[in-house]
Amino acid sequence: MSVNITEYNSKNKPTWCPGCGNFAIHTALKKALSELDISPSQAYISFDIGCNGNGADKINIYGFKGLHGRAIPLAIGAHLANRKYTVFADIGDGGCLHEGLDHLLHAIRANYNITILIHNNQNFALTTGQATATTQQGKEMYGLPDGKPERDINIGDLVLTMNPSFYAKAYSGDPLQLSEILKKAVTHKGCSVIEIMQICPTYNRECTPQWFKEHIKVIDKTANTIENARTFVKTEDETIYTGIIYQNTTIPTFYDRLENRKDIPTELVDEVKNYDISKLLKNFE
Amino acid sequence: MNNRFSIKFGGESGQGINTLGKLLSKAIKDSGYKIFAYREYPSLIRGGVASYQIDFSNKEICSSTRSSQILAVLDEDSLHEYIKTISPNGLLIYDDKDVAFTVEEDTFISENNISKIYLDTKQIAIQAGGDEIMSNVAMLAFIWKTVDLDLNTLQKTVLEYFAKKDVDLKKEEAVLKAGFNTPTYRPEFKQELPSKSIFPTKTIIMSGNDGISLGLISGGVRAYYAYPMTPATSILKYLGTTYKETGILIKQAENEITAAQLALGSMSMGTRAVTATSGGGFDLMLESISCAGISETPFVVILSQRAGAGTGVPTWTGAGDLYTAVKGGHGEFPRCVISLSNAEDSYTLIQSALNIADQYQLPVIVLTEKQISESLFSLNKLPKVLPIERGIKEEKENRYEITENGISSRWIPNENSKPYISTSDEHIEDGTSTENSQEILKMTEKRSRKMETLKDNLPEPTYYGNSQAKKIFVGWGSSKNVILDIINNTDTNIGYLHYEYIYPLKTEKLEELINNDKELVLIESNQTGELGKLIKEETGYEFKEKLLKFDGRPFFVEDILDFLK
Repeated sequence: MSVNITEYNSKNKPTWCPGCGNFAIHTALKKALSELDISPSQAYISFDIGCNGNGADKINIYGFKGLHGRAIPLAIGAHLANRKYTVFADIGDGGCLHEGLDHLLHAIRANYNITILIHNNQNFALTTGQATATTQQGKEMYGLPDGKPERDINIGDLVLTMNPSFYAKAYSGDPLQLSEILKKAVTHKGCSVIEIMQICPTYNRECTPQWFKEHIKVIDKTANTIENARTFVKTEDETIYTGIIYQNTTIPTFYDRLENRKDIPTELVDEVKNYDISKLLKNFE
Repeated sequence: MNNRFSIKFGGESGQGINTLGKLLSKAIKDSGYKIFAYREYPSLIRGGVASYQIDFSNKEICSSTRSSQILAVLDEDSLHEYIKTISPNGLLIYDDKDVAFTVEEDTFISENNISKIYLDTKQIAIQAGGDEIMSNVAMLAFIWKTVDLDLNTLQKTVLEYFAKKDVDLKKEEAVLKAGFNTPTYRPEFKQELPSKSIFPTKTIIMSGNDGISLGLISGGVRAYYAYPMTPATSILKYLGTTYKETGILIKQAENEITAAQLALGSMSMGTRAVTATSGGGFDLMLESISCAGISETPFVVILSQRAGAGTGVPTWTGAGDLYTAVKGGHGEFPRCVISLSNAEDSYTLIQSALNIADQYQLPVIVLTEKQISESLFSLNKLPKVLPIERGIKEEKENRYEITENGISSRWIPNENSKPYISTSDEHIEDGTSTENSQEILKMTEKRSRKMETLKDNLPEPTYYGNSQAKKIFVGWGSSKNVILDIINNTDTNIGYLHYEYIYPLKTEKLEELINNDKELVLIESNQTGELGKLIKEETGYEFKEKLLKFDGRPFFVEDILDFLK
């Protein structure tokens, strides 16, 4: 029995622009949770600040809308406290690659068992269209009539450099595929990074649904090496490969590497009580 | 003050004076004295000038004198740095025969009748069949001889310590005896010690950070997140080295922002998690603290202060972050600020901080100082553990329900409960973000009512000393220790009002003193008198007399005595 998808709906109406990719991303997330039979009370999502974060009160699961750039460590803190929860960090390309880039790298390196959704709409949309590290070169942006003077960050290339355990790329215009990827990411034991190419009809008008349709190619098979995976993210032309680009199930999670937690069956949330310190006190005599 | 005695080691960082200091502290404690040990050291790994001073008495003491009866130095630089701190008739022991004394130093030595003792510790160690590296033990034993204490006590301490290391205990023992019995010793070196304490010898010695760590363990903290920063770092060390016994999850975060966010996430999920840092790291955490305030997420951070702005003087003490703790962070949000003063109250107050954070759903900032964090205090035993009070209530329709006392129901996420969103957006009762003027007012006013409730429930500051005293010091943090040493060990007639709970500020007791025409003296380890400013803001009272110290050093006993002259 799966959970009825309407149970994830909140009473609040979305406030995104017509045609925004966030509608489909939310639907895909709800669909994945429903099909995995994870109830609204069994999931926790931390939202960044940005258009994606405006979805925080639009979904009925446990969550925290925190600070810009900090969705990842907030989610990790929640995950470490109670691993029974399915935990997501939901963040845009601005917050993820700019304000909080350190968190992404260290999360992958530690391999916490959470799922990170990077909404890549190629700009800071909520602050009305500033350039990010994924904005097209030469494109006029807020305060930048000649485009950004820096080079780009290729999210896939960056993530693969960190030797991740799970990296997928999806597209907001294909929520069914995203939903399938989400299910795999949630069941993957480790840090799952999903980069979602997201339509932004207001500040990224160049990348219309038609444009994406012409450039997206769904991969047949997940790469078995980082090197092979890289061929999907570093393309000569503008082809965008989607699907589970790379997965490695042999990397232990952060928690599994904690020597002192190995034989403890409970979660940190279950363990808050007074502890006897008399044994430890002997060392101070 | 003749019921106290002080021994100081001086040397370069890395020469082992910490080990010497710890061993001597323990042996003196086991001989029946109360000790207080204070360290000075530079922010580098090798070289510079460092010291380890042990003050001891037959009564409780918790501060240092500026001067010491015995100075033992392992290098020339520390000799020049500390020679003027030797008391009249005291001893200077040094192990480098090439040391060049200045004319001024020679005059100081003769004018104060100081015995200048060259001790060839290497020679003693080697002749006794030991290794050169054991020469510090010879130094220790020689000092022990000059204070005429039982060699067995020292021997037990030293051998117990080295039994944990990969060294030849027979050799250590031989060097120890040789140092004690060396012919360099002459009867006129003998120092008069205060009579021994009647206290049981089974007291404990611990630092303020040890007290915090044990309080965190007792108080049910299950995750500790931190980025290294002196003088908070030793909490990470203690909790890390005991993590198998406690099961606490330890994570050294990539920076202080991460540490704060991890703690916030864990607290929102319902466990108890804590982070600690010093000023710079605390600044980085302020946005997260503001976020904890508006989202009403319990949060506890330990701010161990050091001297100066920017990087300042990283390994020296100060208390210049009270204003940051009380006022830092954007927007207006409820918070609680608590100040520690010694190992004992570190243990208790950190548990209280956890309870307040949980019950009132707000950030609690716990102030300590290098002087408290890293000094060693002796105590008979730790106070009783505080019962855990989480204030978690039954599930309601809305997480942010508007209530009279400002406290809403908060339930720990579980699969049978109604999910809710915690949010740093201004919000209505169910967590939905809002920009509506009436709704903004309703929720911000609800949160500020928590501060009234908290203030009503916090204790007034504690008064120490004779209630009839005319001159009364008012302070917080480590200032308490030096004043208590004066109150308890001299016939000086002063009082002291100590603020443990700094914010929200309780003023009833203080105003009573003001109205009774007491001569109030503000004492703080900072330049501008931050508690004084806060008191003025809340009561309009301005301190006429202030004793402020901000040179990286703690208040020494002499600072207070000179002030009172």
